[in-house]
Amino acid sequence: MRSLAFAAAVLLATARAQAHDFWIEPSTFHPAPGAMVSVGLRVGQNFIGDPVPRLSAFIAAFSVRQNDKDRDVVGSDHIDPAGFLPVDGNATATISYASTGAYIELPPGEFEDYLRVYGLDDVIASRAARGERNKLGRERFYRYAKALITGRDPSAGVTKPVGLAYEIVPNDDPTRRFAPFRGHVLYHGEPLANALVVALLHGRPSVNLETHSDPQGAITLPLPCPGIWLIKSVHMVRASFFASEDWDSFWASLTVEIPNQNPS
Amino acid sequence: MAFALLPIAAGARAHEIGTTRISFTLHQTQTWSAEVITPPTPLLNRLEAAAGQPLSSAPDVDALRTGLDGFRRDIARKIEVKFDGVASPVAVSLAWSGESADATRPLAVVLHAYGPVPAGARNVTWRYRLVYSTYPVVFSSEGMQGSETQWLEADTQSPPVSVLADRRSHTTLEILAQYLALGFRHIVPEGLDHILFVLGIVLLTTELKPVLVQVTAFTVAHSVTLGLTMYGIVSLSPPIVEPLIALSVGYVAIENVVVGRITLWRPAVVFGFGLLHGMGFADALRELRLPEAEVLPALVSFNLGIELAQLVIIAAAFLTVAIWHRDKPWYRPRFVLPASAAIAATALFWTVRRIFP
Repeated sequence: MRSLAFAAAVLLATARAQAHDFWIEPSTFHPAPGAMVSVGLRVGQNFIGDPVPRLSAFIAAFSVRQNDKDRDVVGSDHIDPAGFLPVDGNATATISYASTGAYIELPPGEFEDYLRVYGLDDVIASRAARGERNKLGRERFYRYAKALITGRDPSAGVTKPVGLAYEIVPNDDPTRRFAPFRGHVLYHGEPLANALVVALLHGRPSVNLETHSDPQGAITLPLPCPGIWLIKSVHMVRASFFASEDWDSFWASLTVEIPNQNPS
Repeated sequence: MAFALLPIAAGARAHEIGTTRISFTLHQTQTWSAEVITPPTPLLNRLEAAAGQPLSSAPDVDALRTGLDGFRRDIARKIEVKFDGVASPVAVSLAWSGESADATRPLAVVLHAYGPVPAGARNVTWRYRLVYSTYPVVFSSEGMQGSETQWLEADTQSPPVSVLADRRSHTTLEILAQYLALGFRHIVPEGLDHILFVLGIVLLTTELKPVLVQVTAFTVAHSVTLGLTMYGIVSLSPPIVEPLIALSVGYVAIENVVVGRITLWRPAVVFGFGLLHGMGFADALRELRLPEAEVLPALVSFNLGIELAQLVIIAAAFLTVAIWHRDKPWYRPRFVLPASAAIAATALFWTVRRIFP
C-alpha cells in the first residue's frame, strides 16, 4: 500500500470528470432465505447513481455465485431493475456483471482531467511521451461490477475470483464483521500493482478513502464505519494495433454491506 | 413519427442508457417548455450532496415531494436552455408520473421546466446537469409536424437545434435510405471482419459463377438470421457470435491456402457462416432500439445496404486485381496465398482477442 488518504470534502474534482462509476445495487444486502432480490445497475458519481435498465446487447455476463454454483441473473430488456434472483440465504452470494465494450471519445483536456482523477498517471505519461497530449481520447470501456449478498454463513467463495478481466477480490468474507477491508486487485487473474482503489460510503458522499495496491496487488482500506460501501478501481491499457480505439479501460467495482456486528 | 438520431450513428456513446427522458417543445406563444421524466431518489440525493446536506435514505413519496420541492430553484439552475448562445431564464414545477407499481415509491418525478423564447431566435441548445446516464431529448415545435431526437451523454450540451426547422415526419423512402446507408457503412468501412470474409470468398476462385454461388448462399443465410434475431426468434449472445465470426473468416482463408479450389461443401460452409454473420448484423441493428413501425423497413434496407457493400467489395477486387492478373502463373502463389495467409492470421488473432478481450 503506497498511500492512504481520507478526505472529508465534497469531491468537486470528481464531479468535473466526464467518466462515471458503475456498480450493482441490490434491493437488499441481507435478504431472508428464499427471498427474491432485485438487482439494480447504477451509473453515477459519489455512490449516487442513475438506474441503468437491462440491455442484453451490452451484457457479456450477468450471474450469481451461491454455494459455489453459478447461475444467470435473469431479467427483461429495457427494464430497471436489470435482474432478479432468488437467494437461498445459506451463505454469502456474489453477483457479478461484465459489459461488452463501449466506445467513447473525449477532447484532449477532458480526457487528461479524467485520467488524473482516476489515478491513471501512467497513461498521462505515456501520452506525453508519444506526443499525444493534444490527441482525442479514444477509448473503449468495459464494466466489471460485483456485489456481495449476505447469507447465514460466510462463504470462502467470495475470496475467489469470479473470472472478470478486472476484479477486486476480498481476502475474507467482508460481510461478517466490521473490520478493515483487505483484498487484492486482479487484472486478467494476475495481481496488479499500484492501482488506485477508492472506497465510498453510501449516503455520505463526502467519505472518500483511497489506497494503492502493493506489488502483490494487495490493498487495505481501514473503513471508518459500517455501512454499504462501494470499492472501485479503473485500469487502462493501450489498445491493440488493430483496434479502432487507442485505449481500453477496465472498471472494477464491489458493493458490500459491512455490518456493525456479526449477522445473525 | 419520431426519427431518432440514433446513438450508434453518432459514433460515440459514453455512458449507459438510463431512464431519464426529456421532451422539449417550442410554443407559438414565444415560450418553451420541457418535460423531464427522471428517477426521483438519485435526483434528490444529488441535490442534497451538492448542498452539503445529509442524503435521504430510501425516501417515501412525501419525503421526495417535500425534498424536491425545496430544491426547485436549484433544479432550475441545473437546466441550461440557450437561444443562439444566450441563456434563457428557467422556472420549474414538479409533478409525478402514475406509472409506479408501488404507490409509495413513484417510478419517476416529472419536472416541468419553462421559459421565454427571444424574438428572432434561430437555434436552441439544451443541457441538464443532474443526470449521469445517456438520455434522449425530443425537440418539437407547436404547429409543426414531426420531432428531432438528440441523444445526450450525461450533462453535456446538445448540438444547436433549429427553432424554425420543419421537423416533418420522415417518409418511408427516407427511412429506407437512412438504413441502407447504415447497412453499407456497417460493412464498408466499419466491418473489416466481414470485408475479409468476402475477400476470402473472392480469393478462392476468379470464376464469377462460384463467387456468385457463395455470395448468394452467404446472403440468404445472413438474411434469415438477421430477421429471426431481430424478431427475437433466435438468439445467441455476442461473446459467442463474435469469436465465431472471426473464426469463420479464418476458416475461409485457410481453406483457400490448403484446398485451393471450390469444393462441394464450400457453399454449405459459407451458408453456415452466413447464419452467424446475420446474428452479428442483428446485434448492430438491435442496438438502435428501433421503433416497432420501423423494424421491417429498417431490416430490409439495412440488409440491402449490406448486399450493396458486398457487391462493391467483389467488384473492387475483380476490377483492381483479379480481372487483370488471374491468368498469370504468379497469381495464386504470389497473391492468393500470401493474401489468404494474412487474412487467416488476422482472423485467428481476432478470434483469440474476442474470446479473451
